[in-house]
Amino acid sequence: MDALFLPSPVVGRLDPVSASVEPEQIHPELWRGDQLGCLPERAVPTGWSALDGQLPGGGWPRQALTELLLKHPGVGEVRLVAAALSAIARGEQGEARAVMLFDPPAMPCAWAMEQLGLPAQTLIVVHGREGPRGAARRHLLTATDVLWALEQALRSGHAGAILAWLPDRLRPDALRRLQLAAQAHGGPVFLLRGIEERMKPSPAPLRLALHAQGSDILTVRILKRRGPPLQQTLSLPLPPLAAVHRQRRHDRHSQPELPAVKVPEPVLSPMTAWDLDLPLEVLA
Amino acid sequence: MASRPPAAAASRSPDLPTRRRPAVWIAVHLPDLPLQAWTVALPPEQQKQPLALMAGARVEAVNAEAERCGVQVGMKRATALALAANLIRGQADAAREAETLRAVAYTALQFTPAVALHDDATVLLEVSTTQRVMGGLPALLARLKSSISPWGLSIRVATAPTADGAALLASWPEASTRLKSERTPSIQELRNITDDAPLNLLKAARAQWAQLQLMGLSTVGDLRALPREGLSRRWGTQLLDEVDALCGDRPQAHAWVSLPDRFEARLELLFRADNTEQVLYGAERLLERLVAWARARRGRVRTVQLQLVHELRHRHDDETPPATLLELAMAEPTHDMAHMRVLLRERLMRTPLPASVHELRIACSDLVFSEAPSGELFPTRASEQQGLLRLVERLQARLGREAVNRLEAVADHRPERATRCKPLDPVDWMRELTPRTPRARSKPTASVVAAQPPLALTRPVWLLREPLALPVIRSAPSLEGHPLRLLAGPERIESGWWDDLTVRDYFVAQAHDQSLVWIYRARLPLSGPEPEAAETEKTPADPPSASGWYLHGRFA
Repeated sequence: MDALFLPSPVVGRLDPVSASVEPEQIHPELWRGDQLGCLPERAVPTGWSALDGQLPGGGWPRQALTELLLKHPGVGEVRLVAAALSAIARGEQGEARAVMLFDPPAMPCAWAMEQLGLPAQTLIVVHGREGPRGAARRHLLTATDVLWALEQALRSGHAGAILAWLPDRLRPDALRRLQLAAQAHGGPVFLLRGIEERMKPSPAPLRLALHAQGSDILTVRILKRRGPPLQQTLSLPLPPLAAVHRQRRHDRHSQPELPAVKVPEPVLSPMTAWDLDLPLEVLA
Repeated sequence: MASRPPAAAASRSPDLPTRRRPAVWIAVHLPDLPLQAWTVALPPEQQKQPLALMAGARVEAVNAEAERCGVQVGMKRATALALAANLIRGQADAAREAETLRAVAYTALQFTPAVALHDDATVLLEVSTTQRVMGGLPALLARLKSSISPWGLSIRVATAPTADGAALLASWPEASTRLKSERTPSIQELRNITDDAPLNLLKAARAQWAQLQLMGLSTVGDLRALPREGLSRRWGTQLLDEVDALCGDRPQAHAWVSLPDRFEARLELLFRADNTEQVLYGAERLLERLVAWARARRGRVRTVQLQLVHELRHRHDDETPPATLLELAMAEPTHDMAHMRVLLRERLMRTPLPASVHELRIACSDLVFSEAPSGELFPTRASEQQGLLRLVERLQARLGREAVNRLEAVADHRPERATRCKPLDPVDWMRELTPRTPRARSKPTASVVAAQPPLALTRPVWLLREPLALPVIRSAPSLEGHPLRLLAGPERIESGWWDDLTVRDYFVAQAHDQSLVWIYRARLPLSGPEPEAAETEKTPADPPSASGWYLHGRFA
């Protein structure tokens, strides 16, 4: 289509307009296939500028689901989102709001959360699979209950940010319902699922696969986003563990002839062999 | 006052009678009260069938569907069943009707403080003092009708300057055709209209209706035409008093309805309720009445006790409890019917019923009279917190109180005791987040602290509930078959001599897939051989308990 004919408001007849009209000028949510989409509302900055540059909107999207796929809990997923969550809990992104965790895989440690910037009084934990310490098995919730609770929290729109661990087998319309409910929610919603879900389609507009790489580095691969597919993976430096950091420094001092170990910059590394079996995701 | 001239006192006019506001009475008459007090408890699919109220073996009242089948008042039961085979029959119950009428009176108390009951099926309201506040008489009538209509009762409303006159007009079906306009009739118009009213509408005349008819007296006008002394000698003063009170010739005393401090109501379900939906249907009727009472008292409900009375399977059934008590407590007092219905529904879904329910009883004595939080257009911090409170309440109603928790950091070195999970109590939590004193309010609250970069982690985010014993491969602890590489040296935690002594050396280790885990080595000998003796290079795959290595957490 070379020229667009738009009605001229003054003359009342059709005037040809030049072909270089940008999609953003027609509507803020339009974007071309080779651009990164922009979000209707301000995104939450992730804390890593390299990741911000690769995400549409420049951060975690609000009012939409974000899927984080990991092999097992404990690869660094909480440290990845902690910067954004603590900003929300502190009130830098609007009012200070509570952060809700749905069905976490293990007991969250209050000290660790405090060190990550999430004070204990801003957290609400809905236990599903493992009851609180010492509770009997009758407190375990079914998958429908967890999904219902998640939908209620999304629809109410009063929670600041939500981290949810979903049950393994989901009905195909369950995620669609959550995506619709997430549109009423004002903050980011993170769904943490297993890495085998990357083969199944999902209505979430942003999907990341996380792998641990060394003690302080997290490898992020963007499986799906509103924009061109990203071929490379990102390596992000996570907040270090104090003990490991001290040990490294001690080792460095005790062996001065070795080259200094510095925390690596986030790099875009070329695709490795295990990326090739990835199916092409249909862009949202 | 000294400035007032004495001449003004002398020229003051004699006492004028104070202008009295003319009384305006509204009468709400329920013509089908016995039948409808019974049918309101039926499930909706049964309400469309032919229904008949029996008194003994005779039909006393029928609904429209039964009339269409041909069933009439006064028929015998066998005849009625022959005409409509699916006829549902019920017995009249005076207590049930009285309770329904009282519920209507409580609803009327929202509009005026002067409400009285007139015989069995009429509620009288005196609204001259409050009609201006409510926006005029037509608006008040519309609001009154809309507040009673969801209950499924058919009503007839009439207004008049006197109480008995209004009651007569409401119970006389043809009164509406004789009234010239919609506005309240004056005393003279009322006198003219009631002249044609049949005498059996008056309570005193109903008992002697046959004799009055034999004498040729069928309307109130006929009675008024007779000499008064003769009437009173023949029929007694009561009849004469009633006729006088119709048009205000005689003052009347009323027994005003007062609101009880404690609300109690019961509803007998006419079907055996076996599942939540049926119990909820009956409970909603009771909740409507509770909300009407709470609104009339200008309070908000905080706790409600609902009792489900079970049907015993046989006479000496000891296993079934006689009743199940549900206590519904709202963190934020409310008189919002929708919110209470949601909470009750979730609560009922979680409660197992040991037997079918045949009666519901509701009781409430806990009202809060403070100001309600006002509805705002733009959300403020307070209204956001209210919204979060309601969300937590809803989740706890369905999932149980122990499912929604908050974390608490405890000052204990042992990691498994350093975090405690407590059920979230919405009221305490709100109190913690909003400081009470105004001076503290000006400082930022604890949740709004200055932005700092996250501190370096010393503890893992995920802590396993039970430490997982790790097998040892070639004198190194292993996870899932691969040896762990220890990254950071031992952190000795030795604590708890008072109850459970734990002496552990914690290490940060890297697993095969490069994720970080937190493992420890227990120092005290456990059941089994000494750890030093068992841990030699020659014996791979030691029994787990003897090696002393455990996985306690993962760094996320």
